[in-house]
Amino acid sequence: MSTIAETPRDFNYIKPRKRRLSEYEAVSCYTQPDPAVFDRQGWYLLTAEGRAAWRPESTRLQHPHWFDFRDPSGLWQRYYVKLQAEQERAIERNVEDAAIAGTLREFDSVWLHDLIGIHYRVWSFFEYGLFRAFSRAQREALSDTLGNALCFEAVDRIRHAQSTVLYLMELEAQIEGFKDHASKDHWLGNPIYQPLRKLVELLMVTDDWAEIAFAVNLIIDPIATEVGVSRLIRYRGPAHGDPVTPMIILTTERDRRRNQAWTEELVRMTTAPELLSAESNRKVLRGWIEHWTPLATAAAKAFAPLYDRLPVRSGSIDEDLAVARGAQAKILDGLGLGHEGHR
Amino acid sequence: MRNPIEAHNRVKDFDWEPSYVEKTNWYPTKYKIPAKTKDPFRHLVRDYLSMEEEKDNRQYGSMEDALARGQASSKAEPRWMEIMKAVLPIINFGEYAAMKSTGQLIETIANAELRQGYLAQMLDEVRHTHQEAYLTRYFAKHASDPEGFAQGFRLRGTNLFNRAGRAAFETFFVGDPIEGALNLQVVAETAYTNPIFVALTEIAASNGDQVTPSVFLSIQSDESRHMANGYSTLAAVVSNPDNLPALQLDFDRAFWRQHAFIDPFVAAVWDYFQTNRTTCYLEKWREWIDVDWIGSYIERLAPFGLKVPSGYEAARERVPWLGHTAAMVAYGAWPLQFWRFDPLTAKDMEWFETKYPGWHGHYGNFWEEYRRRCDPRNGELALSLFPSLPPLCRVCQMPCVFPRIDISTCRIKEFAGKRHAFCSASCELFFDQEPHRYLGYTNYYELFDGYDLADFIVENGLLRADGKTLIAQPWLNQERMWTIDDIRAMRYEIRDPLRTQ
Repeated sequence: MSTIAETPRDFNYIKPRKRRLSEYEAVSCYTQPDPAVFDRQGWYLLTAEGRAAWRPESTRLQHPHWFDFRDPSGLWQRYYVKLQAEQERAIERNVEDAAIAGTLREFDSVWLHDLIGIHYRVWSFFEYGLFRAFSRAQREALSDTLGNALCFEAVDRIRHAQSTVLYLMELEAQIEGFKDHASKDHWLGNPIYQPLRKLVELLMVTDDWAEIAFAVNLIIDPIATEVGVSRLIRYRGPAHGDPVTPMIILTTERDRRRNQAWTEELVRMTTAPELLSAESNRKVLRGWIEHWTPLATAAAKAFAPLYDRLPVRSGSIDEDLAVARGAQAKILDGLGLGHEGHR
Repeated sequence: MRNPIEAHNRVKDFDWEPSYVEKTNWYPTKYKIPAKTKDPFRHLVRDYLSMEEEKDNRQYGSMEDALARGQASSKAEPRWMEIMKAVLPIINFGEYAAMKSTGQLIETIANAELRQGYLAQMLDEVRHTHQEAYLTRYFAKHASDPEGFAQGFRLRGTNLFNRAGRAAFETFFVGDPIEGALNLQVVAETAYTNPIFVALTEIAASNGDQVTPSVFLSIQSDESRHMANGYSTLAAVVSNPDNLPALQLDFDRAFWRQHAFIDPFVAAVWDYFQTNRTTCYLEKWREWIDVDWIGSYIERLAPFGLKVPSGYEAARERVPWLGHTAAMVAYGAWPLQFWRFDPLTAKDMEWFETKYPGWHGHYGNFWEEYRRRCDPRNGELALSLFPSLPPLCRVCQMPCVFPRIDISTCRIKEFAGKRHAFCSASCELFFDQEPHRYLGYTNYYELFDGYDLADFIVENGLLRADGKTLIAQPWLNQERMWTIDDIRAMRYEIRDPLRTQ
């Protein structure tokens, strides 16, 4: 039958980003109804308070069609799960091998107890707070491709948090006298962690899904996480006999790069020159930079006493912060958001 | 070797009471949930990822390999394959809505045990959304007629039945998060996923479709965890007697909202789209809903103060007829759909009379007439067998024709200067309780009243690649398919049945 033979054998209602429709686009696009295009009748149910399923005002950024967003990683569930399962297996095997080789028992004692047992473990509470913030952000996002990127980031964060707990359990099993305890007390009361806790608590009540992503992926991770985890622990681990924790951190940095990339894409999309709202969006983004940069910087600066406790001194927090701020400024410059945004 | 119980206890200890900000009530709930309950889910993210990766490898691997090489989809019975065009886009929205529901639950329910369960479900729902979209695309590539698979997600928004599914599944995440959990986990997942994702695969397999079972059964392997989430959530809610009055009302509503769409829809899919006939929906309904869900689950919650939903008896009486009436409307209104229909044969009709005694007296004439009107050369539309298109329920969006046209429980009333139809006393009651929740949309007839059927078809993209043949067809005959010219010649006007002049 000719009419059937001529039929295109693929989804023809999705505009592919490249020449051909990708598997990622096919399984993701328009799984969320789009009232502007195909679902003109709107939403059939409101909450008792009068809220519809999705609200354009769920972000202060404006875009005529959020469904145009594409995550540059092109990840969908199958490959996201595969990636994270591989990362977790890598962690599990490395920790197991390090345990057998006796590497875990060779950590410097102060490093083990203060930097890993307390500081690195405290970080898992921060990651958990981010998991909470991103879980809500995915609920509110105004398209499927954005909702999925936010959902995967939520799962990244809970993965990081749980992975730390499991790692410390292995350290407990291998190292006599080492105990994972009191990290929650430090999280709740130690002055070193209060700016970090304040930061994540603010994110947990931020009512703008795009702001959560922008603040975390382009400001807070590049400044606070870069100093508190990458510079302080990943970079200095080997000097303290610890090649294991840095390897775990490298898996989180892979996630960070992915999350940074999609958030940069979101910024490019909302500040594209042809967009009517580009300038007002830029203003909103600059406002977010103004708001979150001092908070992220304060969180990083509060780690200063930890630098004083490092058994092997190398570099200072000011140097690390300058490196992190420099790299972060380059990210913003690349997006045309430099200068006014940070000081 | 790590101690899994200890590990699980430790990962539950992440929550804290914020002190730098005021707690924000993003998704207001009227329920009080205890801070500690039993665990619905004892896996860590690490274990979960490895388990799901393995399942994905098996399912996608088989689809890409043996099933594709064997051209499994093109060999399946066309009657069955056609209805998958309608089924997949709407189930897909259910999964997507569920992902949003679990996001709300994670935010709102301050209970570490439940949050662990919800977090895995959140990623599961992304999994199911992608599996079903992948399956739809797979069929677009491999089925003998791809039209309808290739556009289903675009067409579902204006489809009579898909839009009712949308309305049912919006309940998962538009409202009190616990009300969402009742709709999603307690009713849709615990009562209805077994018939849909398990039992329906028997029909698929008997009709030559080996691909759907491999996807649906993989989905169902996650659903048992979601049922555990539902049970734990419900147990947490009933543990505080203050919750009971609100719970019963929300539960009553949740049951009816899911029943009002799922039962007629799945019954029509089940009974009318098998070629190689096996069981009927009513038999499975009695087994899975009546005996299993009500008898072994809901009734056992009576000591805790939760009663069987108030609409349950009415639902049980309606169920034998719902699928036939839904099928009659769907077949009758075939030009509005995006799949092909295969008229019942004399053998099919015998099966119906055996499975549903009395069926012929109510529906036999329709099918005789329908068959005659399949050929465009006869110059008559099946739609003209009805005095008008049916009114659509203001609450559930289903056609107001149930349980049977001759004993329809449709009621019409005026509210805020407009006439509104309701399919049943239950939907009318829900509207009376909270009318503002159902008035936020433009209804079908507000969009399309006064359209010539041909214009509706063109505007909504219901034509095939040649630009003149309809995607939908009343029969599987490929020699004489309906074209837009055939439809235009019929001069059929879509009329709002509530329009007074």
